[in-house]
Amino acid sequence: MTNSLVGLAQTDGNCMTIRILLVDDHPVVRHGLKTLLEGHSGWEVIGEASDGAEAVEKAKDLNPDVMVLDVTMPKMNGLEACRLLRRQAPHLEILFVTQHDSPQMMREALDAGARGYVVKSNAARDLLAAVEAVSQHRVFTALTGRDATGRC
Amino acid sequence: MKLRILLADDHEIVRRGLRALLEKHEGWEVCGEASDGREALEKALELKPDVVIVDIGMPSLNGLDTTRQLLQHDPHFKVIVLTITDSDQVIREALDAGARGFVLKSDAARDLVAAVEALQNKRMFFTPRVNDLVLAGFLEKGQTVARNEAPKLPTLTAREREITQLLAEGNSSKEVACLLNLSTKTVETHRSNIMRKLSFHSIRDLVVYAIKNNLIQIEIPPPRTPTGPTAA
Repeated sequence: MTNSLVGLAQTDGNCMTIRILLVDDHPVVRHGLKTLLEGHSGWEVIGEASDGAEAVEKAKDLNPDVMVLDVTMPKMNGLEACRLLRRQAPHLEILFVTQHDSPQMMREALDAGARGYVVKSNAARDLLAAVEAVSQHRVFTALTGRDATGRC
Repeated sequence: MKLRILLADDHEIVRRGLRALLEKHEGWEVCGEASDGREALEKALELKPDVVIVDIGMPSLNGLDTTRQLLQHDPHFKVIVLTITDSDQVIREALDAGARGFVLKSDAARDLVAAVEALQNKRMFFTPRVNDLVLAGFLEKGQTVARNEAPKLPTLTAREREITQLLAEGNSSKEVACLLNLSTKTVETHRSNIMRKLSFHSIRDLVVYAIKNNLIQIEIPPPRTPTGPTAA
């Protein structure tokens, strides 16, 4: 697992609520993410979306601080949404939570403008630290360390 | 008395979502969770839940084989299979395995409660597509085999299917032996039998077979879209 610091952590001295938009095509996954996130004081899930196109629309309407974004979704996938949002909402920090446990996909996600990348199988373990990091404009990446055959 | 439910899915985040959904229902309780098929089997035999919800795509032992083995142990277990795909093949296999409920993961928030309620009332629950397939099956019954039907592949035993999945997941024969409490020699014998039955020559053939027959599931990454300036 790598967890690297890039740039300066920003602190503004105010304890502001971190407003989070959840994007995944499976409602049951969004439900699980929400139960995990809303247990954290100072964080609020302000909305949900089930595909990339809806994510872009809702980001415009709701102006979240952090977006938790899946990769594989109908209509518009997460990578496309991320590239679009990088131009439309430069202040928004994007954290991918995805099934794709691959360094190549992670590199693509970071190149697309994401600040974080977490694998779904470890989301319960890594999500809180990831949201914490990206909300402070720090990079957070965590793969399982297994190769394509499933071996470590 | 509360209805006791065992959840089996390899993603904790999914189990959280399912648990939150199910425990909203008065009188229902999630009595345990498992992150793979083997653990699901152990916990089901230990906890004796009223309903077992299994994800099809789990490591070590997939959901369909978990269902088969559960029902071999005790045919009274009621199993709902959760899947990301409702292909004909998956549906047939779930029905053949003895599942009494079949729910698409994408629709779980809408259908799972109804599925558990159905099983609680001694009924079955399937998505409309499954109902169509079951009906088509009844209508075809007694007719001759369709000309287009592919020749049947040799059948693997339950143990052979388990070993096929573990090998396709990247485990060596020694690792498989350790997982299944067998000798390496026994696993090697099974492996040879599998390769011979299916006329395979390499582990790659085995992996392809495992994917095609839903012993393991893969997620296909989205197509790459070119970024930056294109060449002239």
